[in-house]
Amino acid sequence: MPYHEFDCSKCIPERKKHAVVKGPEDDLTKALPLGYLNTIPGSISERGCAYCGAKHVIGTPMKDVIHISHGPTGCTYDTWQTKRYISDNDNFQLKRTFATDVKEKHIVFGAEKLLKENIIEAFRAFPEIKRMTIYQTCATALIGDDIDAIAQEVMDEMPDVDIFVCNSPGFGGPSQSGGHHKINIAWINQKVGNVEPVITSDYVINYVGEYNIQGDQEIMLDFFRRMGIQVLSTFTGNGSYDELRSMHRAHLNVLECARSAEYICNELRVRYGIPRLDIDGFGFEPLASSLRKVGRFFGIEERAEKIIEEESARWKPELDWYKERLTGKKICLWPGGSKLWHWANVIHEEMGLDVVSVYTKFGHQGDMEKGIARCEVGALAIDDPNELEGLEAMYKLKPDIILTGKRPGEVAKKIRVPYLNAHAYHNGPYKGFEGWVRFARDIYNAIYSPIHQLSYLDISKDEIPDDGGFKTQRMYSDATLPEAVKTSSAMREYTGKYDIIAELRKREYPEFNKKQ
Amino acid sequence: MNCELKTKERSGVINPIFTCQPAGAQFASIGIKECIGIVHGGQGCVMFVRLLISQHFKESFEIASSSVHEDGAVFGALNRVEEAVDVLLMRYPDVKVIPIITTCSTEVIGDDVDGVIIKLNEELLSTKYAGREVHLIPIHCPSFVGSMVTGYDTAVKDFVAYFAEKGEPNGKINLLTGWVNPGDVTELKHLLSEMEIDATVLFEIESFDSPLMPDGNFVSHGNTTIADLRDTANAYGTYALNRYEGTKAAKYLENKFSIPAIIGPTPIGIRNTDTFLKNLKRMTGKPIPESLVRERGKALDALTDLVHMFLADKKVAIYGNPDLVIGLAEFCLDLEMKPKLLILGDDNVTYGDDPRIKALQENVDYDMEIVMNGDLWELENRIVNEGLELDLILGHSKGRFVAIDHNIPMVRVGFPTYDRAGMYRYPVVGYGGATWLAEQMANALFADMEYKKNKEWVLNMW
Repeated sequence: MPYHEFDCSKCIPERKKHAVVKGPEDDLTKALPLGYLNTIPGSISERGCAYCGAKHVIGTPMKDVIHISHGPTGCTYDTWQTKRYISDNDNFQLKRTFATDVKEKHIVFGAEKLLKENIIEAFRAFPEIKRMTIYQTCATALIGDDIDAIAQEVMDEMPDVDIFVCNSPGFGGPSQSGGHHKINIAWINQKVGNVEPVITSDYVINYVGEYNIQGDQEIMLDFFRRMGIQVLSTFTGNGSYDELRSMHRAHLNVLECARSAEYICNELRVRYGIPRLDIDGFGFEPLASSLRKVGRFFGIEERAEKIIEEESARWKPELDWYKERLTGKKICLWPGGSKLWHWANVIHEEMGLDVVSVYTKFGHQGDMEKGIARCEVGALAIDDPNELEGLEAMYKLKPDIILTGKRPGEVAKKIRVPYLNAHAYHNGPYKGFEGWVRFARDIYNAIYSPIHQLSYLDISKDEIPDDGGFKTQRMYSDATLPEAVKTSSAMREYTGKYDIIAELRKREYPEFNKKQ
Repeated sequence: MNCELKTKERSGVINPIFTCQPAGAQFASIGIKECIGIVHGGQGCVMFVRLLISQHFKESFEIASSSVHEDGAVFGALNRVEEAVDVLLMRYPDVKVIPIITTCSTEVIGDDVDGVIIKLNEELLSTKYAGREVHLIPIHCPSFVGSMVTGYDTAVKDFVAYFAEKGEPNGKINLLTGWVNPGDVTELKHLLSEMEIDATVLFEIESFDSPLMPDGNFVSHGNTTIADLRDTANAYGTYALNRYEGTKAAKYLENKFSIPAIIGPTPIGIRNTDTFLKNLKRMTGKPIPESLVRERGKALDALTDLVHMFLADKKVAIYGNPDLVIGLAEFCLDLEMKPKLLILGDDNVTYGDDPRIKALQENVDYDMEIVMNGDLWELENRIVNEGLELDLILGHSKGRFVAIDHNIPMVRVGFPTYDRAGMYRYPVVGYGGATWLAEQMANALFADMEYKKNKEWVLNMW
């Protein structure tokens, strides 16, 4: 498995060990890209900072909380309204963001008094909210404000409030990943074990590393509830602060994103003896086997099987419709940290797409190991990619679609590679059986967009085709399909609604009798 | 007094209107051709600003980071600047201009950016890059001072001060547009062209609205060149449209090269556009042509259809960049509307000296508040807890939920406007901008009437 040297990065030789091409019979021990190392300055890397890893990725999806950043307003403003983590309390955490607005005088004389005023003002503005998280930023870390002391002082004065402090300044580590780690550990150190939950089921889990992007968490909770499993807490999407303080009472930690949240699972195992089970909500087979694993752990496999059977019967014909039309299309999986390995392989198996490249901005070598093991032979794996390498890769690989962030998606657009938002999704949720079909639908609509096809035509040089005033996606996608496939009644296009979460929130669940 | 100028009483910010200085400097930097800025600080200070800009324009722009990590924060991070400059120059052979934009972290640790630039000029640039034109420009942007507005103002001045060079008079004026959209630049250039005035436009950002070409043209960037910036010293006048975004540069040129400067008013609305043309005429001696009389007439014709029938007495709240907010308020008053609340999102203490604000204080005959150092909670709290009734909100997308949650129609204006399609393509300045704004406001009210079934039948005939 040879390292891949980008032409654009020949002048920075330390980049050479950050990319590999997967060979036909190579094993992973031969070559694995280096990962989670310091960023090369000026390379126009796509990485964020440790503050955003803590606050933006993990902290703010928590729904019933005032999220204050202690620093100038920029950190707060810039990370606000850039993701789609919804919640069932009218999206309080999406709509509100708080900054202590540190100014020059505070840098000189300290900003602790300012912080305290802010905390009190914020609780006063939203009297129904009694929980708060405070995030340190570069500026307040450097001036050495004792945020923990101020938080304690306020809690002593206002007994009905509870405050969590996360000290994760932007410079703390090579990427956002440093912040994931810090907030995981801070949460278990400060908050877990503080609240005793009411246990209503024989089967109690924490759902960890799930951020409810466009409703992913609610889709998965639906399955757990149908199995009669009590979900004590979700870390952190649509998660409740107090529920997350009771994580220590779960029987099992079900872990979705092992990149951002394995730390807290590992600590819960060490401190409270709660086992960790890694699952995967993306794709029919990974999801089915995940539900089976959870069922098997509790001895309620038949409940999982029932769900798998119902959901597969409902949605498999629709997934297959897309698979027929996406087979052989080339895809780059260029997300942030873990989705490369969540999606590699299953996207090939179940949608027929060939993964020609994986990359990770803040993943570690373990993420690459899994990602490379699951992608197609010949695929290019890149750690901490930068602007020019991304372009060079797209020119070379000519993918039909890439899954990446919003801004890199705009880069791809200009060289006529359609993109889907890997972090916030286009028309998600993408988890669950239906969600996976929605994902396939979005990929299909991107690849076969008639407008996208028009972008190849140079009207000044090319023959302008005289073939009508419109095209449909199917005129492109079905052009070479066998007649039997085209007319098959066993398959159909996606039939779900635009918003599938609103109805889910009204759903009622069967009672399962508790044994003891 | 009916119009009250006040400062937010809370010390903190709930839902900020502005981001911090480095974002403003970054926005200015992308207006320059063959320029990639290096933001000296944590990576988030770049990544999220690039995201913000790409959300607004649906385009990607290149800005680099010095990627300061923990060791840099402890031991100093100037080595990261040196490496960043070298890496950037090696990999981007066309880059000539590199502003080094500081942030709160690197200002607090006291990194001597000016010093490292001297060192780089003497060492790296005169050896490895000897013969290559490279300009390193320090731009100090501590995030705990000012806001994105002052960051922009500072950066424009720093670029101009670095390049401006006395030569032969060029027969042009300098037009400092302030923080605007491509649609505004197009409109301004149109007005100048009708007046037959040659101008150096800072910045030439029409190209931010870049095409999808068959041969794949992947970079969006501004088109202001080094030569344009040098030549600012040779204009016979500078026109800064915005008092808070570009004035520093205009004053610099006035003091250093005796180039007379006109500051504002921001040409939003008919009256301010008239003043803009009058000032241009005074500055250049060129007459206002018949074509603009017609254009103005078309705008007045469109506005007359709307004002006393639909817009009169409608209560408005406006937030965003100060020149934009003030300009919009003035225009709304001309449209017989009632701006009730203006929110200016930073602690600039000179707002009270602004003659436009003074005029509002002297002449507004109903209750109106102007809140300085404000945030979006100043708006929402008044709606929720203080009985503020509004017919319309004018502001950028970060305040969208105030409009959504309280069922108030809203026209997206300013930066960023990512939750509506293509807003950057349209002007708010000039006669074209006046028409577009008034019609957007009217259409927002019409859609709201229909949605709420509030005299929607009025539009049966119009």
